[in-house]
Amino acid sequence: MQIVSSGLSDVGRVRTNNEDSHRIVESLGLFILSDGMGGEAHGEVASAMAVDLITKYCESEKEDSGVTVLEAAPENWSSQTRRLRNAVRQANYLIYQAAQKNPEQRGMGATVTTAWLKDSLLSIAHVGDSRAYLLRSGNLQQLTNDHSLVAEQVRRGLITPQQAEESEMQSVLLRALGAHPEVEIDVDEVEIYPRDVLLLCSDGLTRMITEPEIAGTLQAETVPSAAAEKLITLANESGGVDNITVIVARFEDDASKGWFSWMRRGSAKKD
Amino acid sequence: MAKLSLMFENKLVKEVPIGNRPVTIGRSPDNDLPVDNLAVSNYHARVYYEAGRLVVEDLDSLNGTFVNDLRVERATLHDGDSIWIGKHHIKVDATADAAIPWDTGRKTAAPKINETMVLDTKARRDMLQQAAAMGERSQFAAGRVKVATLVILSGRVDGKEYPLTNKLTVIGKSPMATVRLKGWFKPKMAAQINQRDDGYYLGTGDKVPSVNGNPISGTVRLNDGDLIEICGVRMNFIFRE
Repeated sequence: MQIVSSGLSDVGRVRTNNEDSHRIVESLGLFILSDGMGGEAHGEVASAMAVDLITKYCESEKEDSGVTVLEAAPENWSSQTRRLRNAVRQANYLIYQAAQKNPEQRGMGATVTTAWLKDSLLSIAHVGDSRAYLLRSGNLQQLTNDHSLVAEQVRRGLITPQQAEESEMQSVLLRALGAHPEVEIDVDEVEIYPRDVLLLCSDGLTRMITEPEIAGTLQAETVPSAAAEKLITLANESGGVDNITVIVARFEDDASKGWFSWMRRGSAKKD
Repeated sequence: MAKLSLMFENKLVKEVPIGNRPVTIGRSPDNDLPVDNLAVSNYHARVYYEAGRLVVEDLDSLNGTFVNDLRVERATLHDGDSIWIGKHHIKVDATADAAIPWDTGRKTAAPKINETMVLDTKARRDMLQQAAAMGERSQFAAGRVKVATLVILSGRVDGKEYPLTNKLTVIGKSPMATVRLKGWFKPKMAAQINQRDDGYYLGTGDKVPSVNGNPISGTVRLNDGDLIEICGVRMNFIFRE
């Protein structure tokens, strides 16, 4: 699978510092986005740590060893997915440790949404209220669940999505990296098809613009860098109350398949 | 209070109580239980309380952490267990009152509305309990779990029934498709079904499926009993209890 991707971050229109961090390692097919929190307590330190630590863990040659005894992890996960989860787990612990050791960093934390493509399998690990979306044949599907209080209340049927959007509790997270020595990590695997588009974004995007606007932008701007720029512009035009970070990645068939796939793509458009 | 005793060849090296901070074990001297041996990683493992249980977790050490004879990544500890790290072992004495309340001890400042914050363990537990109690009164806790299922009526595919357990379901010829179409000239991804918070949505892929005889445009929300047709395959969308 070939990848064309772009990541962009903007401070927004209200805040003075950007606490988001992101990283793309295209050669590995690795995408990481993290939204720091803790204000003066170094939210940007936490998000930068998350991105660095996960990148290093995934880049290292070392194979994971040991067996999982306690955790009821589905055994059919690929080794890559397990590794990504371990990377997030380790990052959580080290951020927690740093926050405990350094008094000025107490209370820092971060969300993380990370995706790793190998062959055509996309591994996803996620904590917090940043999001991963997949655009496939014009359908935008959120791949992650927000770990926020209001999202949990919606899932339990206690409040409506509309009430959630108006709630003053939107910023309350149930899970984040660095808050506790152990964190529950959502993990998923998704099979990627040619022409799928992956979007990772911080809540500075999704609180400003709607999903139909996101879907429309990703369809209209097929070049990832242009799509990323357009999304940030739209979020700023709608107020830009928080930092906005997006990663857009487009997956294509390997060019080695040559004219045959090209021809099929041409014929698929006709019918 | 529960305690850990670091032993080397049946001699006691060091003893530490387990409080509400994790006990760290490793070669580096700043660990709570430093183990001076080259087979031990700098930060090898840690032991802490989680939800009233005592847990040991290997910190990705090179040579592993063993509880009794089993190599573990994470395991619950019981009184009398031995944690083996290299040639040292650590005896677990959990006889004293086990569940020391686990709390980060952090004071959460009054929440500023625009600042992101995380609920601490207790607040989260209270919230979830409250939510669960309310949920029991709502229709969500009716005790029946409904699983959306595709039942194949006719056509060449690799199965008869497909429970839709993932967020993304693909109908197509791809070897990874959930519903795998057979035969020549079938598209890799003919159509898709997306699971969202409020239901299941059928969308186009390389082909346009029909629902109850009508070709769809965009996505349509599926209802119990809908008839879906795609690439010569007919199937029912139903909820199984």
